[in-house]
Amino acid sequence: MEPHQVKVNGVPRVLAAGPQVSLLDWLRGQGLTGAKEGCAEGECGACAVLVARADGPDRTRWTAVNSCLPPALAFDGGEVVTSEGFGRAPGACTAEELHPVQREMADRGGSQCGYCTPGFVCAMAAEYYRPERRPVAAGEPAPDQGPNGFDLHALSGNLCRCTGYRPIRDAAYALGAPADGDQLAARREAPAPTVRLTRFVSERAEFIRPGTLQELLDRLEQEPDAVLVAGATDVGVERNLRHSRPRLVLAIDRMEELRRLDVGTDYVDIGAALTLTEVEQGLGGRVPLLNKLFPQFASRLIRNSATLGGNLGTGSPIGDAAPVLLALDATLVLTSRRGDRPVALADYFTGYRRSVREPDEIIRAVRLPLPLAPSTAFHKVAKRRFDDISSVAVAFAARFDGAVLTELKIGLGGVAATPLRARAAEDALTGTELTAESAAEAAGILAGEGTPMDDHRASARYRTAMLEQAMLRFYAESAPELEVIR
Amino acid sequence: MRVQQPAATGLDLERVDGRAKVLGLAPYAYEHPAENPTYLYPVQSTIARGRITAIDTAAAETMDGVVAVLTHLNAPRLADAADKELAVLQSDEVGFRGQFVAAVVADSPEAAREAAARVRVQYHQEPHHAALRADHEDLYKPEQINAGLETDTQAGDPDAALASAAVVVDRTYTTPAEHNNPMEPHTTVAQWEGDRLLVFDSTQAVHNARKTLAPLFDVEVEQIRVVAPHVGGGFGSKGLPHAHVVLTALAAKVTGGRPVKYALTRQQMFFLAGYRTPTIQRLQLGASPDGRISVLTHDVVEQTSAIKEFAEQTAGISRMMYSADHRRTTHRLASLDVPVPSWMRAPGECPGSFGLEVAMDELAEACGIDPIELRVRNEPAIDPETGKPFASRHLLACLREGARRFGWERRNAQPGTVLVDGWRTGIGVAASTYPARRQPANTARIRFTADGFYEVQIGAVDLGTGAWTALTQIAAEALECGPEQVRLQIGDTDLPVATVAGGSSGTASWGSAIIGAAQMFRKEHGGFPSAGDTSEGDGERNPAGKNYALHSFGAQFAEVQVHADTGEIRVSRMLGVYSAGRIINPRTARSQFLGGMTMGIGMALHEQSVMDERFGMIVNHDFADYHVPSNADIRQLEAFWLEEVDEHAGPLGARGIGEIGIVGAAAAVANAAYNATGIRVRDLPLTADKFLT
Repeated sequence: MEPHQVKVNGVPRVLAAGPQVSLLDWLRGQGLTGAKEGCAEGECGACAVLVARADGPDRTRWTAVNSCLPPALAFDGGEVVTSEGFGRAPGACTAEELHPVQREMADRGGSQCGYCTPGFVCAMAAEYYRPERRPVAAGEPAPDQGPNGFDLHALSGNLCRCTGYRPIRDAAYALGAPADGDQLAARREAPAPTVRLTRFVSERAEFIRPGTLQELLDRLEQEPDAVLVAGATDVGVERNLRHSRPRLVLAIDRMEELRRLDVGTDYVDIGAALTLTEVEQGLGGRVPLLNKLFPQFASRLIRNSATLGGNLGTGSPIGDAAPVLLALDATLVLTSRRGDRPVALADYFTGYRRSVREPDEIIRAVRLPLPLAPSTAFHKVAKRRFDDISSVAVAFAARFDGAVLTELKIGLGGVAATPLRARAAEDALTGTELTAESAAEAAGILAGEGTPMDDHRASARYRTAMLEQAMLRFYAESAPELEVIR
Repeated sequence: MRVQQPAATGLDLERVDGRAKVLGLAPYAYEHPAENPTYLYPVQSTIARGRITAIDTAAAETMDGVVAVLTHLNAPRLADAADKELAVLQSDEVGFRGQFVAAVVADSPEAAREAAARVRVQYHQEPHHAALRADHEDLYKPEQINAGLETDTQAGDPDAALASAAVVVDRTYTTPAEHNNPMEPHTTVAQWEGDRLLVFDSTQAVHNARKTLAPLFDVEVEQIRVVAPHVGGGFGSKGLPHAHVVLTALAAKVTGGRPVKYALTRQQMFFLAGYRTPTIQRLQLGASPDGRISVLTHDVVEQTSAIKEFAEQTAGISRMMYSADHRRTTHRLASLDVPVPSWMRAPGECPGSFGLEVAMDELAEACGIDPIELRVRNEPAIDPETGKPFASRHLLACLREGARRFGWERRNAQPGTVLVDGWRTGIGVAASTYPARRQPANTARIRFTADGFYEVQIGAVDLGTGAWTALTQIAAEALECGPEQVRLQIGDTDLPVATVAGGSSGTASWGSAIIGAAQMFRKEHGGFPSAGDTSEGDGERNPAGKNYALHSFGAQFAEVQVHADTGEIRVSRMLGVYSAGRIINPRTARSQFLGGMTMGIGMALHEQSVMDERFGMIVNHDFADYHVPSNADIRQLEAFWLEEVDEHAGPLGARGIGEIGIVGAAAAVANAAYNATGIRVRDLPLTADKFLT
């Protein structure tokens, strides 16, 4: 078998590292020390690099990811660009001339201590090469958008402690379009690298990329302790912070059967291994409640790797996807050698980081029933605007007949050991007319759901108050339409 | 005092290290080539106070790739173990949770970490105290406070004056522990060659680092070389060597000459790299109905670690900021079983300005006076504490310029009256100040090279402040040549002695030495030097310091939005105007001011290290839970400065800008939040729950 290898800055490099070695540590071990470790958990973006991802069958999209989280082996056969590899002649590890992104960052004072800079450069370059980016034709740019169409959310996962971000934003908003002859721009016009079915076996650990779902399920049945890796945004943290060293790692991030987005007549199936970014792009706004979630879900860097399967698979009580999917009445399609087993998400969680999923089962897809309830809202309360864990997250999906609520589903996060549905509040309102009075009453009921705790993110009292407020806000947002109906 | 006329200084020169940094090629401490290195991973205490009764290292020692396992039982002895923060692995005592109790050195980082996980430590646990309380039973008065200031000061009869004052504000304010969190984790790479030690360190002071290390290892300072060409931020936490530097150098004694590499993890930094101490500040302001302050007291309770004293000069700001005939400042420490606090950006002025400047806002309201007018009425003619004239005091000019630019006249004096799209909106102001502290012990050397460049050498450090750029400009101006003719060398103890990049003193201190060296060079070698011509010069003592009070000033303005239903808070706009003497480079200076203000927004809204006193544990010890501002939290942010040259601040006329941007920033935000909501929050940070009534 061919040696494992990664094309870095245009040059193939042999990859001889076990699954415990992150892409970041491998790159740094290669002498490419541009990418840095700042937090080892995907919060700071100092480790960001560009990776070549498929953009449909024929094109490639440069995507920025945190390299501290995924194992290097997940990039076997892939293409990576680091801050050292930009410039007029990518391919040379030391650029002779600065890339426009680097030029603007240096020129506008976007770098002070410089430690976060290579990560910012990579995150900014991904947005620079985003094919949909266009200068704003007329009028004011949208909030968080530059006149050049630069979406500032591209930098939401990069922390800087020196500059106050303004010089960095100045650089981002000054960027033009890639010039003719820009090799990274040209690379987008060819297909992404083919996925290699990596098999790495050592005495201590194995890393396998199964070729088919069947192969994956067979392997999982034999070794139910195997760790599945898609975006590695959770298992990477386990490895870095808690020194978890699984014996068998099964890579599923490129598995076709887990990466389909099927929009049927009575459901939408979202493949569990699609990244949040891919889901957002694939759905194109067809599920408005999810559109309210995406910008609130961690950061762009994380969304470029994280998957719904992973977010639900960990069973975390504060994952942001669960409340939204609960309100959408999602079903998880679990699968094993015994076949598919649909489980309503509302019945999936059994305790703190525990679920009904059997050890040999994986989440294949998240199924949303159609038609969608037309009135939705998502309220996430956190200290920071973005890139933060929620204190409380509440999602609503409702259907009205006139002013009468014929259907109401409320998903809650951060108020109990698991995400949960607010059944009592739902029952109280379903079949009734939504009025200021009924909303106020339901707010009181909603405030009593869950078992919120005091912790350093928020007090139990505050969390309870936020539940109440969420209902009042939902009413306030619905009220104008109800007024028209009345 | 002769003042250099601006030429190369004042130029909007692009950062000279910018190119290397955007390419990711600038080497930080961990990234210097090291031959056949070993890697260190520590074991940290899991109790807050007690003794180690047993350590089982057998399993770790037999692992593949392990070079050594060090504990207090077998670690080389330090020659001086008086500083208990630095006396690592010298005794069985545990003084705080997270302290080093063992370390593994191995051929790979992975082996070191795995082996460290196999070290078993048993303790005899003793009762501990880890929570700061105003009524802590053993509060004590330190001999002096940070920066060598007096612990307590008093003038007049404050208590009597308070009893007779027409208007009194008497409030208590608290600021939480905060961690510096520079983006580059603290890193040391150490190698002994015989009795000589080479250290690549992420430090703000290469010369001070070796001065600290030399007596510990019983060597002369000349036997130690510390190198730090690029440092990924510090904000004070890299100003003094912490335990990891000693641990790494100690471990390098047992590797047979192989280098030892150790970078703290982000998590470890919360226990081992210093932090801003939490403070409890009681402010009492007594004034006449028209707002003239007759009495100002500022009594502070704060924590230190039982193993090493650090006394933040929190009330120092109240000694010089406003005129008051009757004044008192005090500092009392609670000695706790906690990690060792240290410097964090503007120690003293930063937390102290929160108490003082929010109290001023409260006084303005109590008197029914505009907050800016209140400051105008209490502007002192001379430094109230020393009686010296201010070399340059332009606080009022900063306030007026800021008010004009910010649109202060649109402020609605009645709080809680502006509601826009569900957000309560208000604006606030606070004053800022920071002392100019030029350090004398600096030497620079200038050598003319065969290829026609001026090599300018000084053991200064650039931790992101812009020293590479500013010192290049200062040298060019002093030599009357172009910046491109200067080859600056910094960040190495092989270069002439220089003081710390801290206390906003670096540029003025190092710059003075460079100017001295340049003058000497021209005197000795004239305008047409030959290859190899070399001169040295020192930074002269500043005689003006004896006769003048040297301080920078500034005005911070903030616009804040607080959500009416959820209490979520955003700083939608912030503007600062500063008077800091000469600005060497407007581009790097702007970044410094904006960065300080941003850290101030973090202090106001996010930053808080949460102590679980049951375990002496800092709960939120990572970036997922310790929040620094992110891009999206910083909206409209502007910094301006007055064009000036402080002729009393040394030959450069500059007073330093690294810290003033954070001073008063949190108070401005809190005052704006009050204006928005009518809710006065006196305990940082301003989290959403505090705005729900």
